[in-house]
Amino acid sequence: MSEWIEVCATDCIDEEDVIRWDHDSRSFAIYHTKKGFFATAAYCTHQQADLEDGVVIGAVIECPLHQGRFDIATGKALRAPVRIDLATFPVKVEGGIVFINI
Amino acid sequence: MRAEDATSDLTPTNAASSGVTLDRKTLKTLARRSDRPGLVYLARWGAGLLVTGSFVWLSLGSWWLWPAMFVHGVLLSVPAYAISHETAHGTAFRSHWLNETVLWIGSLLYMEEPLHRRYTHTNHHTFTWHVGKDSQMPFDTPMALGGWLAEVSGFALMRFHASVMLRLASGRHSDMMRMVAPDDELRKMSRNVWIFLAVYASIGLAIALGVHWLAWFLVLPRLLGAPVMLLFTLIQHVEMAENAPSILQSTRSFRNGRLGRFLYMHMNNHVEHHLYPQVPFFALPALREAVASQVPAPDPGFVQTNWEVFTLVVRRTLGLAARAVSIRQAPHMATVGGVKRHMAHRTM
Repeated sequence: MSEWIEVCATDCIDEEDVIRWDHDSRSFAIYHTKKGFFATAAYCTHQQADLEDGVVIGAVIECPLHQGRFDIATGKALRAPVRIDLATFPVKVEGGIVFINI
Repeated sequence: MRAEDATSDLTPTNAASSGVTLDRKTLKTLARRSDRPGLVYLARWGAGLLVTGSFVWLSLGSWWLWPAMFVHGVLLSVPAYAISHETAHGTAFRSHWLNETVLWIGSLLYMEEPLHRRYTHTNHHTFTWHVGKDSQMPFDTPMALGGWLAEVSGFALMRFHASVMLRLASGRHSDMMRMVAPDDELRKMSRNVWIFLAVYASIGLAIALGVHWLAWFLVLPRLLGAPVMLLFTLIQHVEMAENAPSILQSTRSFRNGRLGRFLYMHMNNHVEHHLYPQVPFFALPALREAVASQVPAPDPGFVQTNWEVFTLVVRRTLGLAARAVSIRQAPHMATVGGVKRHMAHRTM
C-alpha cells in the first residue's frame, strides 16, 4: 500500500537542483525546479549513474555519465543514449515539508 | 555483444574510477549550462571563416590559393570537430533544439552521422582506451610511423567515415555498431545517413556542373585542414596506457595558446573533460584549476607535444629507444627495438 513519507524541508534542496534520498533500501531522486518538487528513480536507466550528480536544466535532468536527458515530471527519456523512461513518484509539499508517495 | 548486454560488467572510466573528487557545490556550478558561450563561439567562428574565406577569394587564380585554403581549412575543420564533439555530449548549449541543430551541422562538416557520433563517443567515455571495448581507438598501439601517417594525413579517418556511412546506408551494421547502439537507434542512423549522402552527392554534382566555389571554400579546405584537426585529436591518448581504470593514466591534457584553445574549444583539458564530461567547454579552464592538485601537470603545448610524439614514432619505427622526454608516456610505450607486439588494434 502506498503512503506519504516525509523527505526533508523544502530548503534542503536548492532551486534547480536534485538530491538522492534513500528509504527502506530504495533510492529516489528528489528535484526542486521552478515548477515545484518532483521525484523519480535515483539511477539513470542507461548505465545506472546516480542522478544526484546530474545537472537539472529547467524541467530536465541530465545524467552525469553520458548526458542523456529525462523529463523530470514525466520521467520520459528525451535524448540518447537514454531510451528507457524513469519511474516517477507523486510529491506534495505541506507546511514547508516535502513528502513522497511510494 | 549487444548494446543491452554491454553494461553487465561496467565500471565507467571517469572521476570515480580515477580517485578524483570535487565538492558537489563546485561541480554543480561548473556544470551549469548557458546558450550564450556557445552562441558567442559560433559568431566568432563565423566571423573568422568570413575573414579566411576572403583570403581564399582574393587569392583565386594565383599560387596563394593553396595556403589560403589551408588556413581557411584549419579554421573550418578543427572547430567542426570540436563543436560536433561538444554537441554530441549535449553540453554546448542549454537549449536542446539549438544543441541538436548545431550537432547536425557540425556532424555534416565532420562527416559522421550524429547518432553514431553520440553512441560511439558515449562508449569511448565508458571504456576510455580499453582494448576491444573503446569504439574510438583510431590507431594501433604502440604507434609506428605507418599508423602516424595514416592518422595525420586524414586517410584513416576518411576510410572509417566512408565505411560507417556505407554500412549504415546498406543496413550492414558492424559488431561494434551493434555493441554501442540498440537496434532501433541503428535504424534511425541508417535513415539519417541517407540525408548525409544526399548532401555530399549534391555538393559533388554541383562542383561537377561548374559550381566551383564549393570546392575552393568547402571541400578542398576541409581536406587540407584535416591534418591539423587530427594532430589535436592524436595527442588526446597517444602513448598513454591502455586498459587503465584511471583517466589520469589513459589520457593527456596539454597546454594550448589562445588560438588553439579557441579552435579546440578548451578540449586540451582532456583529462579534466574525461573526469567530468558534464562540464561544458567554457568551464573547462575553471575545472582544470579546481582539480589541479589531483591531476598531472599538462604536457607542453600543441607543437612541442606533437613534435615529441612524432620523434618517438620515428625512433620506434627505426628500432631505436622510444622514451619520452617532456611528455607523459605509459612505461610500456618506452619501447626498445621497435614494436614487438601491438597492445591495441584500431576500432575506427
